[in-house]
Amino acid sequence: MKQIRILLSDDHNILRDGMRLLLERQPGFVVVGEASDGRETLDLVQTHQPDVVVMDIAMPNMNGIEATRRIVEKHPGMGVVILSMHYDESYVIRSLKAGARAYLLKDAVKSELIAAIHAVAEGRSFFSPKISRILQEDYVQALGRKGADDSYELLTGREREILQLVAEGRTNKEIANALSVSLYTVDTHRTHILQKLNLHSVPEVILYAVRKGIIM
Amino acid sequence: MRQRPWLVLVGGFGGLLLLMAAAETGALLFLNSLRHSGTELQAHFLARNRTLEQIRSDIYLSGTYARDSLLAPEVSGARAQIAALEGLRRETNTALDRYAQSLEPEESAPFRALRSEIEGYWKVLDRTFAWTAEERSKERFAFFYEELIPRRTSMLQIADRIAGLNEESLKRGDEKLGALFGRLQLSLVLIIAVTLIGGAALATLTIVHILRLEGEVGRRLEESVQAQASLQELSAKLLRAQEEERRALSRELHDEVGQSFSAVLMEAENLLDLEPTPEARPRLESIRAVAEKGINEIRNMALLLRPSMLDDFGLVPALDWQARETAKRTGMHVHLNSELTDELPEEHKTCIYRVVQEALNNCARHAQASSVEVAVRKESGKILLSVLDDGSGFDPERVRGMGLKGMEERVRHLGGTFEVDSKAGRGTKVEIALPLTSLNGNHKNETNPHPSV
Repeated sequence: MKQIRILLSDDHNILRDGMRLLLERQPGFVVVGEASDGRETLDLVQTHQPDVVVMDIAMPNMNGIEATRRIVEKHPGMGVVILSMHYDESYVIRSLKAGARAYLLKDAVKSELIAAIHAVAEGRSFFSPKISRILQEDYVQALGRKGADDSYELLTGREREILQLVAEGRTNKEIANALSVSLYTVDTHRTHILQKLNLHSVPEVILYAVRKGIIM
Repeated sequence: MRQRPWLVLVGGFGGLLLLMAAAETGALLFLNSLRHSGTELQAHFLARNRTLEQIRSDIYLSGTYARDSLLAPEVSGARAQIAALEGLRRETNTALDRYAQSLEPEESAPFRALRSEIEGYWKVLDRTFAWTAEERSKERFAFFYEELIPRRTSMLQIADRIAGLNEESLKRGDEKLGALFGRLQLSLVLIIAVTLIGGAALATLTIVHILRLEGEVGRRLEESVQAQASLQELSAKLLRAQEEERRALSRELHDEVGQSFSAVLMEAENLLDLEPTPEARPRLESIRAVAEKGINEIRNMALLLRPSMLDDFGLVPALDWQARETAKRTGMHVHLNSELTDELPEEHKTCIYRVVQEALNNCARHAQASSVEVAVRKESGKILLSVLDDGSGFDPERVRGMGLKGMEERVRHLGGTFEVDSKAGRGTKVEIALPLTSLNGNHKNETNPHPSV
């Protein structure tokens, strides 16, 4: 089994130490470095080329969202797990837009952290169940306010299938293979999905899927 | 003078008016009595003069009658003249008695002389009536020219002297009146002078006092304007300080206390991994639960103090959160309609956020609204915000709670306008307009001093 190389990025030393201990006991995990602010994180990413970065948002010098944006820009395949105190969707959507694939709350239990690292290492998304629940609640409430024009009903079965795969972070090629259809077909479906749901980017698709409870 | 200026004014002006009224009344009365005295004096003089004239004419006439009676050869032939003479005598006596009643002291000697002359005259004349015809023809011329005429002349001279005295008395009376008139003039001049001086003094005092009061009023006004300005400045400072404190506290709770709880949680997880004794495991699980709860509480506290989105992402995400949060907490439908694209100055951001927060609180707490519409947009250099609910409404003229006052205060500090439109049973609309080029340039472009995201 291939080892997952992890970089920890948090300005709180004790928390970082505890996390390191916790993660290093897990089989297949190796913590390759620790950074205490955004800039240091960028440097260490460059040095160690980790598979996954576990990142706090509130950090000195450069915040976690900005650091995520720069990391993903340079290393598109690198998985970033945001581990934050913030549970509001404004933080979630901005993290996703910056390129993070997982969002955990700091009161998350160990199993969530491990699951999130595995998920992003495989290119999938992961959210704390609490985050999913909050986002879903807000969404349901917003729908109620707007008069329940749930555009999800407009999607065909195939489109729903593809929506879930996109939200899980699969590439078009992976989706085409999984569904045994052509790349062109997947692309057409994706375009339709974005149009019908009035979405504009993968992070928005992910957030939508979380809100709808399609993915966790 | 300070305590009772009205007393001084009433006393001063009242006294002055009373003085003038008294002086005028006195002068009028005095003039009246003077005129009366003058008339009396004149009448007195004329009456006495008339009496004297009568005495003189009687004496004169008696000479004529006496001559005529003497011309008659017999007494019997002069009966008519004698009777006339008797009449004249009575008339003269009456006149003399009349004159005696109003005799001046210096007249008494000549008057006595006149009276005895007249007495003597009548007596001498009486003698002729007893004359025989012979005596008459012999004596009458001598008697007439040597006795009667000189006596008559002497009497007339005395009467003239008395008349002269009478004139003098009139003159003296006139002089006395003149002197009285002069005194009146003098006293009038005095009173006018006193009134003028008093009036001038009073007017000066009053003017000085009014000017001083005016000055004082001006000073007080300036003071109160200054006090109000410094009070406003103070309250703005307080608001800023309060906001700053909330921000610091919120961040501290979030970043420090919350992180510490996270670390505790992580360590508890670590210990649980190390296969603790059966006694230790539930204790560790309890630590983990407490830490989890702590994180949640800290987060909520921090958000309530000041939502981090406001500083991290700006106004709209913070309003979004507030709208969602209120909806979740109260069950109201909160609809946010924001057309803001660029970020606002720090104070404007905070002001709008706090106004919306307070307005939403009011909708939920007092208005029992079921839906609220929050709209914020930028228009011709102004930020316009409106919060419209379908709640019970109220009378904004009568009800002005601390919440509304606080909102208004915040808006006013930034030079904006604040309006509440509400009627009982017809919902409430809160509208504010904040100029973006605010007058207090100090805080104009103050952006987030503690950016974290």
